[in-house]
Amino acid sequence: MFYQPNVIEEALGLKAELKDGGTFIAGGTDVVVLMNHGKAAPENFIDLTHIPELRAIHRHDGALELAGNVTYAQAGKLPVRCLALASLSVGGPGIRELGTLAGNLASASPAGDGSTALLALDAEVELTSVRGARRLPLDKFFLAYRKTALAVDEMITKITVPTTYRSDWSKNGKRGAMNISIVAAAVAITPKKETRIALASVAATPIRCYKAEKFLTENGLNAGTIRQAAEIVRTEIRPITDHRASADYKVHLSGVMVRRLLENLVKA
Amino acid sequence: MKKARKKTVAANGGSLWPLRFTLNGKKVSAKVQPTQTLLDFLRIEMGLTGTKGACLEGECGSCYVLVDGRPMNSCLMLAPQAQDRTVTTIEGFAHNKKLDVIQQKFVECGAVQCGYCTPGLIVAAKALLTENPHPTREEFLVGMEGNICRCTGYNKILRACELAADEMGLKKK
Ligand code: FES
Ligand code: FES
Repeated sequence: MFYQPNVIEEALGLKAELKDGGTFIAGGTDVVVLMNHGKAAPENFIDLTHIPELRAIHRHDGALELAGNVTYAQAGKLPVRCLALASLSVGGPGIRELGTLAGNLASASPAGDGSTALLALDAEVELTSVRGARRLPLDKFFLAYRKTALAVDEMITKITVPTTYRSDWSKNGKRGAMNISIVAAAVAITPKKETRIALASVAATPIRCYKAEKFLTENGLNAGTIRQAAEIVRTEIRPITDHRASADYKVHLSGVMVRRLLENLVKA
Repeated sequence: MKKARKKTVAANGGSLWPLRFTLNGKKVSAKVQPTQTLLDFLRIEMGLTGTKGACLEGECGSCYVLVDGRPMNSCLMLAPQAQDRTVTTIEGFAHNKKLDVIQQKFVECGAVQCGYCTPGLIVAAKALLTENPHPTREEFLVGMEGNICRCTGYNKILRACELAADEMGLKKK
């Protein structure tokens, strides 16, 4: 069956009631690809594209509250540099109109661009089910390869990001467009001058580099500490060799990318 | 199109979805298999074969259509998701037997070889020029980055788009 609710409560009700839990569908950039290639055939769909409140963006003091289905096209226009740039680096215009931030989080791809930018921003997610809503810092959300803290009956209803962080983004891939990263990196500096570093495609999930962050928070940001932090980053990640690049190359690239991003951020 | 025709039908009790939407300016009602992609629905049920399918995974842009004016990969949308939306395919571009400016420029510039990518590119260009009537070269490259052409080498395509932008700009003045 195909369900097309207009409000979140209806969608959550269906998710709880349906025996197989139903499959949420928004942009279709994951599930329809699998269907087209004969690798999935869900029985029940809960379409989230006709729920207007899931596309809303609210501005609070120092933070943006993004509803789950905010698209990359929408996020690309936000005044949060690393998130906007990460969103614009996803696919092409059509994919950016379809794909959503919540979809990126829920699929938990190690290469998730949106996920990585959101990690560097200390984003918080609101997970809602018929049982109620709970909030979770994003760094507690990714559990293992393609595994998240999302319960079977839950939906990512909101993503809260601060507008007070200074941030930047960089992505390296095999080509300039329609790119899945070899490595992508997001860095941010909080109002308290703490550093955040998040990387994509170097571990089983998008990850934070806590040791390098801590080192910089304790020792301050300057040319010397940034170089040392980049060295720490290289030891914190566990990339695999795949068709995109070798593990060694990804380690090297990560260090260079983080160093350059931080150098620019300090200069700016 | 062999791949596009191989449909994955979920065992969903076979109930059809009563789809109502606007297609190329006309109201359409149809009963659709909810697991059918919008691409297959347009090509197979509506007979609108201008929209192409190639990769079926969002990589090539040959399936682009405008949904409420925005470019989207119809291979990634399920037909019921077009409910109450306004969809424009390449067939909806010409009016009174007159080609859209972008189409006209593609012809004049020789921006078409095998033509498989062309409808998608024209849809992408239309979406871009509607939002931003005077794109820079860089903005053109971003607006068209979701479309792959295996024949032309893109130069004539870009030229056609830029000339179309010029002409549309002139017309409006
Ligand atoms: S067929 Fe849809 S993007 Fe290639
Ligand atoms: S003209 Fe053949 S793919 Fe573009």
